[in-house]
Amino acid sequence: MSFLLPCPNCGPRDVYEFRFGGEYLKRPGPDAPSEAWVEYLYLRANEAGAQNEWWYHRLGCRGWFLALRDTRTNAVLEVYRPDEKRA
Amino acid sequence: MKDSRLPPHPAQRVNRGKPITFTFEGRAIHAYDGETVAAALYAAGVRTFSRSFKYHRPRGLLCVAGRCPNCLMEVDGTPNVRTCIEPARQEMRVRGQHAWPSLERDLFACFDKLDRVLPVGFYYKTFIHPTWLWPTYERVLRRLAGLGRLDIAREPEGHGEHVHLHADLAIVGGGPAGIAAALEAARLGVEVLLIDDGPTLGGHLQWQLLPSEGEQPGYALALNLADLVRGEPRIRHLAGATAFGLYEGRLLGVMQGEHLIKVRAQRIVVATGGFETPLVFQNNDRPGVFLGDGLQRLMTLYGISPGRRALVIANADRGLRLARELLAAGIEVAAVADVRSEPHSADGQHLREAGVPVLSGHTVLEVRGRKRVEAAALVSLDSAERPSPGSEKTVECDLLALATGWEPASALLAQGGARLDYRADLGGFFPAELPSWLFAAGEVRGAQGLGAIQKDGRLAGLKAALSLGAGDARDRALAEALQEDANPPPSIRPIVSVPHPKPKRFVCLCEDVTEKDLADAIQEGFDHIETLKRYTTLTMGPCQGKMCHRASIGICAALTGRDPSQTGTTTARPPLKPVPLGVLAGPHHEPVKLTPIHHLHASLGATWMDMGLWKRPLVYTSVEEECRVVHQGVGLIDVSTLGKLDVKGRDAAQFLDWIHSNRFSDLKAGRVRYRVMLDDAGIILDDGTVARLGEDHFFLTTGSGSLELVEQWLEWWLAGSDRCLHVTDVTGALAAINLAGPKSREVLARLTDLDLSPEALPYLAAVQGTVAGIPVLILRIGFVGELGYEMHFAAEYGDYLWETLREAGREFDILPFGVEAQRVLRLEKLHIIPGHDTDALSNPLEADMAWVVKMDKPDFIGRATLARVKARGLRQRLVGFEMLTPVVPGEGDAVVADGLPVGRVTSAKWSPVLGRAIGMAWVPPDLAVDGGHLQVKCDGQVCRGRVVTKPFYDPEGKRLRS
Repeated sequence: MSFLLPCPNCGPRDVYEFRFGGEYLKRPGPDAPSEAWVEYLYLRANEAGAQNEWWYHRLGCRGWFLALRDTRTNAVLEVYRPDEKRA
Repeated sequence: MKDSRLPPHPAQRVNRGKPITFTFEGRAIHAYDGETVAAALYAAGVRTFSRSFKYHRPRGLLCVAGRCPNCLMEVDGTPNVRTCIEPARQEMRVRGQHAWPSLERDLFACFDKLDRVLPVGFYYKTFIHPTWLWPTYERVLRRLAGLGRLDIAREPEGHGEHVHLHADLAIVGGGPAGIAAALEAARLGVEVLLIDDGPTLGGHLQWQLLPSEGEQPGYALALNLADLVRGEPRIRHLAGATAFGLYEGRLLGVMQGEHLIKVRAQRIVVATGGFETPLVFQNNDRPGVFLGDGLQRLMTLYGISPGRRALVIANADRGLRLARELLAAGIEVAAVADVRSEPHSADGQHLREAGVPVLSGHTVLEVRGRKRVEAAALVSLDSAERPSPGSEKTVECDLLALATGWEPASALLAQGGARLDYRADLGGFFPAELPSWLFAAGEVRGAQGLGAIQKDGRLAGLKAALSLGAGDARDRALAEALQEDANPPPSIRPIVSVPHPKPKRFVCLCEDVTEKDLADAIQEGFDHIETLKRYTTLTMGPCQGKMCHRASIGICAALTGRDPSQTGTTTARPPLKPVPLGVLAGPHHEPVKLTPIHHLHASLGATWMDMGLWKRPLVYTSVEEECRVVHQGVGLIDVSTLGKLDVKGRDAAQFLDWIHSNRFSDLKAGRVRYRVMLDDAGIILDDGTVARLGEDHFFLTTGSGSLELVEQWLEWWLAGSDRCLHVTDVTGALAAINLAGPKSREVLARLTDLDLSPEALPYLAAVQGTVAGIPVLILRIGFVGELGYEMHFAAEYGDYLWETLREAGREFDILPFGVEAQRVLRLEKLHIIPGHDTDALSNPLEADMAWVVKMDKPDFIGRATLARVKARGLRQRLVGFEMLTPVVPGEGDAVVADGLPVGRVTSAKWSPVLGRAIGMAWVPPDLAVDGGHLQVKCDGQVCRGRVVTKPFYDPEGKRLRS
């Protein structure tokens, strides 16, 4: 695995500068039913295709951002900051 | 042994003025600087360079290019060195491999007669019964298998570096196409990295004595082209550099000597040309059978006279040209057997004029000679590719030059995602569709003839440069013009193998796989190229399929009634050439983290331990003494390794309530509190302390190994939220010392004007003040169970405060204590260490820490899960225990009940002050009864203990609250 990931702050860097932070998921509310919590904690879509996911630039700016990556080809379709609306 | 060298020639790489000597199997070998080991050995009369893997057949030089396995020898203790490209050096020690007692006389050659009992895949069917013989089988087979010997005691000497390069355009291959591409791109202003595996540029031109087109002999043209490249400042040339892999993200892995060069390129041109592969016929592996260009290189680059009389086997114009080159280099060519019915090129005419018969429609049937080529039998092939009966002719010769199996070196293109299609007209797999950033140029793309090759290179350089935004409308028009020129159709009659009743027709030389083996495997059902490869192991030897991939596809296709395009290729994976692990590992960097007080611990004779990257003192004098000093007097420990975070902002208090199981919004300024952090599955991630320094200002400590985790976790929860606060890592900025023991107040009192009385500075107070003249944050906490002060201060005062405290404590016999004593002391208080006593399944309710979970908070990370854990009931419990006998269990030992494991010891130590072994363990809830019995399996024996659910030492906590 050696693709380039474009950090919104630092630009394209080797993927090993980053830590993968998992699929983007919405946290259930405190009163949500057990099924919602089980899904959030233990189940993953594991999409073969475009996946919305978190990345942490541990060897760079140490910021969190989101990326839309095709898990089949590692082509990074989009990156955006957590407070930006996706295109 | 007569010295068989040709007269000097400018095309040679050899310096006859600089003689060198090395040893081979005990003999002194005379060589010259610039010769390879194999060339010098050949000149000294060596003809058997190795013994084959299974049958121990003699093998001679074949490719002379570092591709085939035939020349592998041990050089200066390093096994499997490709001597045909390894430069000879003064006092080298060269030995043969895989043969005993010598390469020339190998006793294991008897295996050649055992081919009936050693067929393909024999090890799947034999050596199974009887099973009690397996250890013997293993011992014997291990000794017999393999090629080189590894001396595992030998220290690696590598000094390889890892280099990172960025290039707009990287070109792999410094032959005529690569050079043309480089010059064209540079003309348009592009910075070019030209990567070539030879010592000098020019590719195959370097060993051509005749002109290709025009008047310059190949080797002279190569020198001119190299000059052009040298004169172009935008081209950076990496010589002796092999691009062994093209990885995701346009990353090229390049090996240059011992160095690993990682190249990130925007565009890549692959102009790697191609190479000859052997024809499959009876005894095709005899020493004396050369690949045509290998013989050319031996003569032209190294000036070695290879023998008396060569027979050329051809299937295209390339072979006729080869025969002329061999004549020019100075060897008699007996004939050319051209399998085509009519040779086309002018070279055929030249050969006839030179007295060399060209036998059309003929090819080689078998080679004769026990250890060397002595003669060859030629046959004519009918249209069904079978030998015509009665057409056999014997030709007396001592050399065969094969020119029937040229294939493009397209591995990098395949790795880069190119689609390769079988071209019947060219007899091979050529790139058909490429990703937009990858270009192919020259012979690897099918261009034939120097003019076409150079034009193709220009075109690739132009297209790459245009795609980078360089060049103008004229250059675009030029690219269109170059594109339109069609290559003239070549005249090739593809041939892969010649039928023969006998079985010694080798497809895979590395693994001794014959055509009969392929036929047998296909009959057994392995008729797909991928399964055929795996069952027979063909292409899985040192040459990695370079010599046999082509033939195996052709044979598999023929035997399964398909054509090669239906059979397909096996997947090309990097590295395309063996790369030593030491090159990939690179320089041995071992980063460590040291506290500011590190050197003082060293001078006190500390024994070190590793906590992640941190070096920490494990013990200074003895654990017993260090524990005693903390219980009875005063000790000090360097805790600078703690993670330290400054948390500041309007929403800091509310955020701390969110990420912890307990509450901090009600923590008063000037107070410190224990903190526990969970994830949403309710699992304990980390613990530490929080001190409130102000309304919006908190100071957090984390576990020594958890800082990165905590910082990332906090930042993630803040990302995209509208909470107003900052988290700043101040771990490196602050040193920290914990002064602990009943006398610690008296020691500290000597160094500060702060009121240290229990009323002014009670347990869990946090105060900022001056100690020994420097600003310090003092936290009165009690991890080690005695009166103590954890001091945080600027790191540059680390050693100053350490020494000052030691001096102030001298009259109280102060001693430093290390991590081991700290571990014992905290265990006496039943204080957990997350990650040691807890794991990925531990929640605070089961870890006996319900008091730290404030379920009345409306929401916090982990709340939902803990509510459910509470409802469902606890399934395991973390308890303390003491042993009834003076046995200290091992950490990880099982807690057993009725002989079955039901739990696990997480910590266990000998407590000097209590005089018994104590520990913590996870146990089922029914065993978690204070005073209840416990059985631990340690060292194979069942030992008895008793559950203790309150701290072993000072259970009321009076001492640390004093």
